[in-house]
Amino acid sequence: MSDEDEVPVVKKARIFYGSLEEKEKLRLSREGISSTAKDAVKAGIEAGHINISSGESMEMEERVKRRERLRNILSVVGPDALKKSKKEDEKAKRTQDEYQQTWYHEGPSSLKEARIWLAKYSLPRAVERLDAARAQKEIPESTRTVKQQELHKTLRNVNNFCSQIGDDRPISHCQFSPNSELLVTASWSGLCKLWKVPGCTLIRTLRGHNTNVGAISFHPQATLTLEESDVNMASCAADGSVKLWSLDSDEPVADIEGHSMRVARVAWHPSGRFLGTTCYDNSWRLWDLEAQEEILHQEGHSKGVHDLHFHPDGSLAGTGGLDAFARVWDLRTGRCIMFLEGHHQEIYSINFSPNGFHVATGSGDNTCRVWDLRHRRCMYTIPAHENLVSSVKFQPNDGHFLLTGAYDNTAKVWTHPGWSPLKTLAGHEGKVMGLDLSPNGQLIATCSYDRTFKLWMAE
Amino acid sequence: MSLPKREVDELRPWVERTVKKVLGFSEPTVVTAALHCVGKGLDKRKTTDQLRPFLDDSASSFVERLFEALEESRNSRGNRAAGEKNRKRELKGGDSVESVVKKKRVPRFEEVEEPPVLPGPPTESPGMLTKMQIKQMMEAATRQIEERKKQLSFTDSSAPHPILPTVGATQSIAPSQAANFMNDAIEKARKAAELQAKIQSTLAMKPGILGALGNTGPHNLVALANLHAMGIAPPFLIFAYSKVEPREVTKPTPLILDELGRTVDASGKEVELTHRMPTLKANIRAVKREQFRQQLKEKPSDDLESTSYFDSRVAINSAQRAKRGFRFHEQGRFEKIAQRIRTKAQLEKLQMEIAQAAKKTGIQASTKLALIAPKKELGEGEIPHIEWWDSYILPSHIELLELLVEMHGVTNLVEHPIQMAPPVDTDKPVTLGVYLTKKEQKKLRRQTRREAQKELQEKVRLGLMPPPEPKVRISNLMRVLGTEAVQDPTKVEAHVRAQMAKRQKAHEEANAARKLTAEQRKEKKVKKLKEDLSHGVHIAVYRIRNLHNPAKKFKVEANANQLYLTGTVVLHKDVNIVVVEGGPKAQKKFKRLMLNRIKWDEPNSKRDDSDDEGSRKYNKCTLVWEGTAKERSYGEVKFKQCPTESMAREHFKKHGTEHYWDLALSQSVLETTDD
Repeated sequence: MSDEDEVPVVKKARIFYGSLEEKEKLRLSREGISSTAKDAVKAGIEAGHINISSGESMEMEERVKRRERLRNILSVVGPDALKKSKKEDEKAKRTQDEYQQTWYHEGPSSLKEARIWLAKYSLPRAVERLDAARAQKEIPESTRTVKQQELHKTLRNVNNFCSQIGDDRPISHCQFSPNSELLVTASWSGLCKLWKVPGCTLIRTLRGHNTNVGAISFHPQATLTLEESDVNMASCAADGSVKLWSLDSDEPVADIEGHSMRVARVAWHPSGRFLGTTCYDNSWRLWDLEAQEEILHQEGHSKGVHDLHFHPDGSLAGTGGLDAFARVWDLRTGRCIMFLEGHHQEIYSINFSPNGFHVATGSGDNTCRVWDLRHRRCMYTIPAHENLVSSVKFQPNDGHFLLTGAYDNTAKVWTHPGWSPLKTLAGHEGKVMGLDLSPNGQLIATCSYDRTFKLWMAE
Repeated sequence: MSLPKREVDELRPWVERTVKKVLGFSEPTVVTAALHCVGKGLDKRKTTDQLRPFLDDSASSFVERLFEALEESRNSRGNRAAGEKNRKRELKGGDSVESVVKKKRVPRFEEVEEPPVLPGPPTESPGMLTKMQIKQMMEAATRQIEERKKQLSFTDSSAPHPILPTVGATQSIAPSQAANFMNDAIEKARKAAELQAKIQSTLAMKPGILGALGNTGPHNLVALANLHAMGIAPPFLIFAYSKVEPREVTKPTPLILDELGRTVDASGKEVELTHRMPTLKANIRAVKREQFRQQLKEKPSDDLESTSYFDSRVAINSAQRAKRGFRFHEQGRFEKIAQRIRTKAQLEKLQMEIAQAAKKTGIQASTKLALIAPKKELGEGEIPHIEWWDSYILPSHIELLELLVEMHGVTNLVEHPIQMAPPVDTDKPVTLGVYLTKKEQKKLRRQTRREAQKELQEKVRLGLMPPPEPKVRISNLMRVLGTEAVQDPTKVEAHVRAQMAKRQKAHEEANAARKLTAEQRKEKKVKKLKEDLSHGVHIAVYRIRNLHNPAKKFKVEANANQLYLTGTVVLHKDVNIVVVEGGPKAQKKFKRLMLNRIKWDEPNSKRDDSDDEGSRKYNKCTLVWEGTAKERSYGEVKFKQCPTESMAREHFKKHGTEHYWDLALSQSVLETTDD
């Protein structure tokens, strides 16, 4: 009997799910405001939550009309609006003001030590890089051109080499190991997998995350000088967990706690001492792995930060955020030295060129922009894809070409400079979510929403 | 037989033409003489004699023609002018006095005439002025005034207006006053006559030369004087003395010679007989040439003067035929063109060979790409000594990298820079609208209506509202209005029908009131099509190989305009680019148009299906790029023809979108090398 009673109730609820709210509103507005609510309403009017007179003086307005209008407003905003305290409002206002000016706070002393260390690390590297660039310039023009043309010719012949189903959920990220023999993929299932390339045989499955893994990244010295048992990889997930992995275990070596929101990307500093993470709480962090602590919590974006990449010298960091701006930070001084304004929608990818002064950003407005750090301007806008550009990467050794992957199921190879399309890597059946180039220049890997990753190679 | 002056005047243009035809140039002296003869009513023979000195052998034929024309004009005119005659003459007579006065006052008019040298009859001694002479001079003066008046009225249309009132005034002038004026004029004329006489005496022997001097006016007068001297009474005598009565034909005067052997008239005054002077042909020709030239100058005004119906306010555009001459091509022009074509063909052939060779080796794509890549190397040349971000912490360019020195600016401060709001604020949570099923919608409506009805009923029950009139139909009329229906069914039926009609009317009116007006409907449509672009504008770039077909061009343009898309279309050989900007829905529709609806590879029309079969076969449209931007960069869709690549790129660069062109061009290059 009791079942029979319940059934119509459930049925009724099902039918009126759309209109219930409507009815409630109607009822509320018809019923009028209870005497208890009246005081709250008055308070609300004073606090400015409820704007009855809408700017115009309505002193002479009839009471009846006024009450009716208030009833209407209340039925829309709901009585909860009245509960909003004045205090909260003021707090929001204050924070708003804070954002309107640059201010500083003192970080820990370890931050300064780390910065000095970074300066000492990066300055010689910058000198080396510039020397190399000068040496490169000594090579006659014709030789360079021939080399360039050879490169373009090989790139024109890049084709799909192999395809492998990586997981049963979309694959969000992939990266080659520094020795180009391993490929690690991160999946939305929470599993990361280590593959042997070019054979595409599974070596190990890394279990640790429970939600979508956003990125997994090799230590710059992994497989080169590091031991297998050392920390070789770092990964991050949508629940804010960041985990460190070794090469010989399928369990994480350590966890990095401290993120309350989704961590989109994790990136290693070229020195391998620092780890950068980007978080959707509008900040990015710098972790010192030797001291095992967070040394920098950097704000600056007005929305979540999606991607982070370190300058090859180790002196700068570039971050791209969902606020459509990218920022270049000087790690030594902690200042934002360049503000990359030009994209129209979220930036999902940022990458420094190995030549040290070009930056590429990929955005949700389907373009990829190339910026010149020396002249502090946007050099070129590549109308790259027909959907958002999810990843962009320079060739890691000499930066003579550029790779972009997008949600239009393709990846494209572009000359740099010149930015003419060389080759379209089409073959994925889903959005291309990540791509990488092997450091030896042989392979290109793309991973996709269609749960596969593909390797591309020049024939 | 003599003619009124007006008719003579009307005959003048014809005579002028005829003279011109006969002599080959216009000769006012002859014209005047001829007209005089006509005016006097001389017969053919006499006229011929009179004109012989001027026209030589052709005099007789000229006279023949003259008389024919005269006959014609007389027939055609009939007595039309007769009525006007009197009034006109009176007017002119009155005028003459006033105009003498006027002549002094208005010097402007004198530019039409020669300086006021009044020709008098040739006299030898200035002292001897007979009555006859005075009369003649007066006549001469009057004549001249007549002449001038005529010219004035013809040349300047505005001139008659100021004169007309004065004409009225002169008519009221007392005879004594008129006499005074006359005397004045005579006095003047006398003086002038003395001067004239001298000139005349020197020139008397050469009438031809006389004719060559000065304007028509004086010539005519001189000729007139000559004629007069020969005993032909000028017509103005009749003006002056016998206005209404027909003219008397004066008899030929007898030839009287004085003691010196000169020809004299009855009064003893010397008369100059016109006779041919032997002179050199060259001289005559020179004189004629001079005259001809002068005639040429005057001619237009002469022509205008000659017709009394001329209205100078009406602009005359004489029909002119453009001169059609031969137009020859410069020598070697076609050779040059041919040479150019040959060189071009050769170059193309050479390029083709190179391309073939390149294709074999496979370097074509890269070379072509290199060709289209921007030439300037973006200022890459300079490699700085130290990057600027490094120089900030090393201000004094320390070469030694021991780094013992304290680095500048390295602190433990954490910066909180200004947070910039994103260009597109999409903070608002996306809310899904509540969509009800049909059944739910109906139920809801039913409920609300029921409740409204209940409310009404409540009000009626409480007595706040009068109860509604019972709703009657034909079917329920008996039930509702039972007894009344029985008593007077016709009336009740009428009542019911009226109520039904009222209900129907109210319903239809409510519907009509709800209906949108034509403008509102249009606005609604436009509003639907115009999308909110505050969150960025969607852009699509299409590339078409061949966009020469006007029908397809039209489709592209018309659809873009109708969808409120902006953008540009650039036509370049086989890279035709269509850029459109607008809202997402419009883009969706336009994309479907470009990629599905337009059949790009169908033949243009029946006419030119033979010319480019091959190129059309592969004609297609590809989407180069689509994405978003902050705002529109183009105005309304316009077509632009760009013969060169650089021009096309320049066009795009002007709008800050050169990357569209670059991408489309390189794609097309890659495509062509692929096939």
